[in-house]
Amino acid sequence: MTVCSTAFTTLGQAQARALGKPDLPIAVIPHPFGLRTRAEVRRIAEQCVEDIARLVSRGAE
Amino acid sequence: MSDAAREQAATFEAPEDLDAINRLYRERRWSDGLPIVPPTAERVERMLRHARCARHDVVARVAPGYGVATAERIAVNAVMAGCEPEYLPVLIAATQAVADPKFNLQGIQATTNPVAVWVIINGPVEKRLAVNASFNCIGQGVWANATIGRAMRLILQNIGGALPGEMDRATHGQPGKYSFCCAENEEASPWEPLHVERGFAAEESTVTVVGAEGTMNMNTHTKDAPELVRVIAETMIHPPSNEYVHGGEPWLLLGPEHAEVLKRGGYSKTQLKRALWERSRMPAGSFSTLELQRARDSRTRELGELGAETLIPISPRPEDIQIVVAGGPGTHSVYVPCFGNTRAVTRRVEEPVNGKR
Repeated sequence: MTVCSTAFTTLGQAQARALGKPDLPIAVIPHPFGLRTRAEVRRIAEQCVEDIARLVSRGAE
Repeated sequence: MSDAAREQAATFEAPEDLDAINRLYRERRWSDGLPIVPPTAERVERMLRHARCARHDVVARVAPGYGVATAERIAVNAVMAGCEPEYLPVLIAATQAVADPKFNLQGIQATTNPVAVWVIINGPVEKRLAVNASFNCIGQGVWANATIGRAMRLILQNIGGALPGEMDRATHGQPGKYSFCCAENEEASPWEPLHVERGFAAEESTVTVVGAEGTMNMNTHTKDAPELVRVIAETMIHPPSNEYVHGGEPWLLLGPEHAEVLKRGGYSKTQLKRALWERSRMPAGSFSTLELQRARDSRTRELGELGAETLIPISPRPEDIQIVVAGGPGTHSVYVPCFGNTRAVTRRVEEPVNGKR
């Protein structure tokens, strides 16, 4: 699985298809990242962890 | 399905009207935004007569989509770009070159950076195909330069899959992404040509691909060689640069008049590279704070601990600076910063001998 920001999700999906992994789970975080406060980054990270857990467990089913 | 059949370029019935064909290419995003020459079976066949390899031979896989570049698919894109059939061997060599891992095509195609692929042609093929190495050599006006550079872009887009906004993530791009091709002006150069420096014989023909971030003109009337070195080196210094962050491979497209000034000043190519490398070192404190951190991440192993006073070289070694002589009369040269994480690749152009493969 991989993590992409919104601006790079299209690239991530296309790259996954090109490399023969069209179902690669991708957790998406908002873009851009650099101007956010530490607290905002933490909130995004916590949400992302939940998304990753959900995507990984879906893959394991 | 046989391997050959799998790699065969798709064919389809197209309308006879050129406007309708171009509408179709526009809708399917098969063009670079300009009208194309329809790649009919006859035109592709005519072009393939100039390939040393067979129609379905795999020349390379082209990142980031890893599409299979066969001679036939390269020929299709060359026809679309308006190439003469004789240009095909140059494009086959260029496609091999961009796929070399050293070139980092994956990074070049998918980055937000404006990087374009600059195609430089050396050796006898340069005259045979009438590739411009003189006046306006990276500008408009000469068929070979315009269409070879354009075909390279179509190969990268249509076979490599780097469509703007999809896998090509360039923030702005640059005009060189339409076409960026010239030959070296070997006769006007006081030094050995680029391909000879890179290990080929003078009578061999080669294509060199460069991950070029843009062009910065340098107009100076000085006839003093050390002063010319100084102003070129000071032009190379710019803090928001991938080259200083990663340790790059900067290119100089020297006009023949500047090359002559440097030669008369006693500079060999090696000495010139050393002098430019030393004069273009930049204090790490010139970076923004985040770029300084990126440079630390990228170059601490090479340079040791980076403090604000540390002088950062533009490239790991003086010989990483690349010099090519081209252009017409005039007191101009061009600095071509590179993408940073890339190295130029040179390949021999394999032409059919007496029309035979």
